[in-house]
Amino acid sequence: MPEQPQTTLSRRQVLGGMAVGAAALGAASGCVPPGAVARSGPKDLPALPPLEIIALNRMAFGPRPGDLEAFRALPGRNSREKFVAYVEQQLEPARIDDKECEARLASLKTLGKSLEQLWREYYRQVPEGEKRYETVYRPTDETKFATLIRAVYSKRQLQEVLADFWHNHFNVSPDRDERIAPTFAHWDREVIRKHLLGNFRQMLGAVATHPAMLYYLDNATSSRAGPNENWSRELFELHTLGAENYLGVKRQRDVPGFAQGQPVGYVDDDVYEATRAFTGWRVNDNTDEPGMSDSGTFHYHAPDHDRFQKTVLGRYLPPDQAPTKDGNDVLDALAEHPGTARHISRKLARRLIGDNPPQSVVDAAAKVFHEQRKAPDQLKQVVRTILLSEAFAQTWGDKIKRPFEVFVSMLRATNAQLNPNKAGEIMWLLWQLGQPLFGRIPPDGYPDYKEAWSGTSSLLERWRLAQGLAGDWWGEAIRSEVVKQTPTRKPKEVLEFWVRRALGRPLASQSQTAINAYMKEIRGGNLTEPLSDEDAKWFIPLTVAAVLSSPDFQWR
Amino acid sequence: MNRRNFMMGCSSAIAAMAGAQITSLTFATSDGGSDDVLVVVFLRGGWDAISVLPPLDGPDRAAYEAARPHLRIPIRGKNAALGLNNQFGLHQSLEPLLELYQGKQLAIVLAAGMPTSDTRSHFDAMRYMELGTPNQNSTTTGWITRHLQASPAKSGGLSLPAVTIDAATAASLLGSPEAVAMRNPREFLLVDDKDFRKSLTKLIGDLYKGDSWLHAAGRRTLATIRLVEQIKTEDYKPAVKYPEHEFGERLKTLASLLKQGLSMKVATVDLGGWDTHQWQGEHGEGYLAELLGQLSGGLAAFYKDMAAANLTRKLNIVVMSEFGRRLAENASRGTDHGHGSAMLVLGGNVNGGRLYGTWPGLGAEQLYDRADLRATTDYRAVIAEILKFRLKNERIGMVFPGYSLGQPMGIVRG
Repeated sequence: MPEQPQTTLSRRQVLGGMAVGAAALGAASGCVPPGAVARSGPKDLPALPPLEIIALNRMAFGPRPGDLEAFRALPGRNSREKFVAYVEQQLEPARIDDKECEARLASLKTLGKSLEQLWREYYRQVPEGEKRYETVYRPTDETKFATLIRAVYSKRQLQEVLADFWHNHFNVSPDRDERIAPTFAHWDREVIRKHLLGNFRQMLGAVATHPAMLYYLDNATSSRAGPNENWSRELFELHTLGAENYLGVKRQRDVPGFAQGQPVGYVDDDVYEATRAFTGWRVNDNTDEPGMSDSGTFHYHAPDHDRFQKTVLGRYLPPDQAPTKDGNDVLDALAEHPGTARHISRKLARRLIGDNPPQSVVDAAAKVFHEQRKAPDQLKQVVRTILLSEAFAQTWGDKIKRPFEVFVSMLRATNAQLNPNKAGEIMWLLWQLGQPLFGRIPPDGYPDYKEAWSGTSSLLERWRLAQGLAGDWWGEAIRSEVVKQTPTRKPKEVLEFWVRRALGRPLASQSQTAINAYMKEIRGGNLTEPLSDEDAKWFIPLTVAAVLSSPDFQWR
Repeated sequence: MNRRNFMMGCSSAIAAMAGAQITSLTFATSDGGSDDVLVVVFLRGGWDAISVLPPLDGPDRAAYEAARPHLRIPIRGKNAALGLNNQFGLHQSLEPLLELYQGKQLAIVLAAGMPTSDTRSHFDAMRYMELGTPNQNSTTTGWITRHLQASPAKSGGLSLPAVTIDAATAASLLGSPEAVAMRNPREFLLVDDKDFRKSLTKLIGDLYKGDSWLHAAGRRTLATIRLVEQIKTEDYKPAVKYPEHEFGERLKTLASLLKQGLSMKVATVDLGGWDTHQWQGEHGEGYLAELLGQLSGGLAAFYKDMAAANLTRKLNIVVMSEFGRRLAENASRGTDHGHGSAMLVLGGNVNGGRLYGTWPGLGAEQLYDRADLRATTDYRAVIAEILKFRLKNERIGMVFPGYSLGQPMGIVRG
């Protein structure tokens, strides 16, 4: 390697960064000590970018090359009309040609398998031995790879954003139980993806009867002799009404609206009664008990069910109802409750707009959610309401990307190529960033507040990731080859090219000044002379990493 | 704030957050903080407390010898237990700690654990303990996180309030953005190369000069990175020689951090390998004896190192494990998951040289589920005493929702 001038960096130094090794994992999960980051006032927020930038960073995982151009080519006289066209396009994922992305998933064989196949091939018939664990977790691992690949390459970006949302909403940790792992590919396909623009009640039914959830929240072992309230508790508190509608320890009849069959919220007794309603909702996981098979599918086991009358959310469930009717009545009551409409709408708005979405948007979405509760495309209508709200187009910087978004958007901006056969080698990067895919153990899903993701370890790991991706530190697993992609060798044009690519808009002036000074320093003051091929090899990755490390790239 | 408020989780606990915010503001204006540091050493896998503190006499000894024909620790001869009193001995591998016990710096809590939980699952037991909510593993913050939220804020200066000496922060720090995980400060760097790092640090500093909350967070992160950068652990000259194993290295790293005068409040260090289902060693030697040797060697070196810098007066070390092990040995000359365990408390303000807690006995009727040592002292009682009397945290109910500290055992002076 030729000698570098004193003030510039050698390629060795750039690549040397990778030797730092696996280090501090972000503490960036869970709750936030209140006041850790001051609540922001509007004056502290960054300038509002063009609407297409907002759309591509919140309805998608950031722009890939060509995305901005495609957006601008949509029908419409102005960006608002084009935006509406984009929303409608993304709300119909099945109509978007996604063959290129699907082709990348071809080697992942477990994705399309039925529950019975997964149960048999990846759990029941797996021999003991060293490889057992690997096989049992293969469907989960392939789901992780597919999730990452789709987030990066799928043109159905809104679908991927929503899959991320619903996976967190109905969080399941495959590490909790060896029987969850083989079924996880099916959970992703038939529960999360199938319903994410569909009907909430149907989704809830799929959730409640899937082995992944039945094992994760222990309902599979809940019986009239030994009831387990875990599932029912989280069903009320996280999945439907939310803690905001929890009224604590109180008699059911003391809840306003109870007499009319419309209590305003729920109390502990509702959770206990619902627990009884779900007793006997199990998984076909043995042949020892009469009436059961060993297929991994849902099974209603009447002998375990508490057959007597229950009262849940002001509804009377008479004794000896038909199989599963008690539980389905509970799901009906929850899905129809206006509190559920508000809770889900607020969460969706928080994800799609910002940490503190205006009440008017939440109310409008909740109204649609409630009125369209029987519609097969209920959730599509709710999402549309949020996306087309004024707040969506007028809010920026009330949030930063979560680590998964950071990772995916960096891959998209750099047009990096992920090798599906080596995806396992880089999943630890998400762990390092503090948000491993499907790695949230508690049932609440990863937090969706900025404070959770702006802690010390979290930001440091983003900055390191930027260096690694731009510098191609991970061999065959991810190739970004930013040098090859850069059409110019003039330093200033290099920056302009990558700012356009990664941000689609100019840098904030503070960031522009900072990166200019940095380029000057590493280049020894000379920003006019074109880069030699040898200099381009280190200068371009460093410039790209600088852009990806900027606050501009973190906002959403 | 009641238990349910805590269980709500941050995804929806806006009200709870607002409540806690007021609390921390109140404390921020008050004085009376503590300089003390709490070091939590977690022994992963469930340590065999019965081998750590074998009974020496009476019906307990008889029950012990009958249940452990191969694994019992001898009373006399080679590898004999070190007598603490007439009733209990200390495993001879813990000999480095005996001096600290006799010097009244080490207290031992018998039969400590989770009396309120029946679980024998590592996963659940560790989760329950570290989240500080027995029987609840869905809590979204760890007990140390809540302690940091509840305890008096220090004003000004740079600090590393909570550190895990490992690749990832402990579950007890779940949800704490101020918690930092590092096996070695060398790893908590932007990049390895010194010159490159200098340029990059300047770039990040310039990029995050703005007014927004994100810019402020970036500057705070950079300040922490710079702070850690100044810590020259490779140049660290401990006052004693640390044993050459991972646990010793971690404690040495921790000592180097503590001696920098950073206002650290809590640190966590793990030592794993305690799940001794088979071949844990006979006649007081073998696998478990070696592991106990690592524990005691590391702790003793760390303690002496800190004493040489006159820092033990602010030091509180708690050694704990998710559960103990079954009284009866199994056919593989190991022991299965049990219930009650033991805790060690080490520090300059510990009322040491004593055994604390109620010994439940090893008779068949005295055992938990007729199989395990019973847990008679809640692990939260031990921690709560230290938090209250040494770290001056009055809000035990916030750290351990639904739990209140009863009559203190007097393990620490306060």
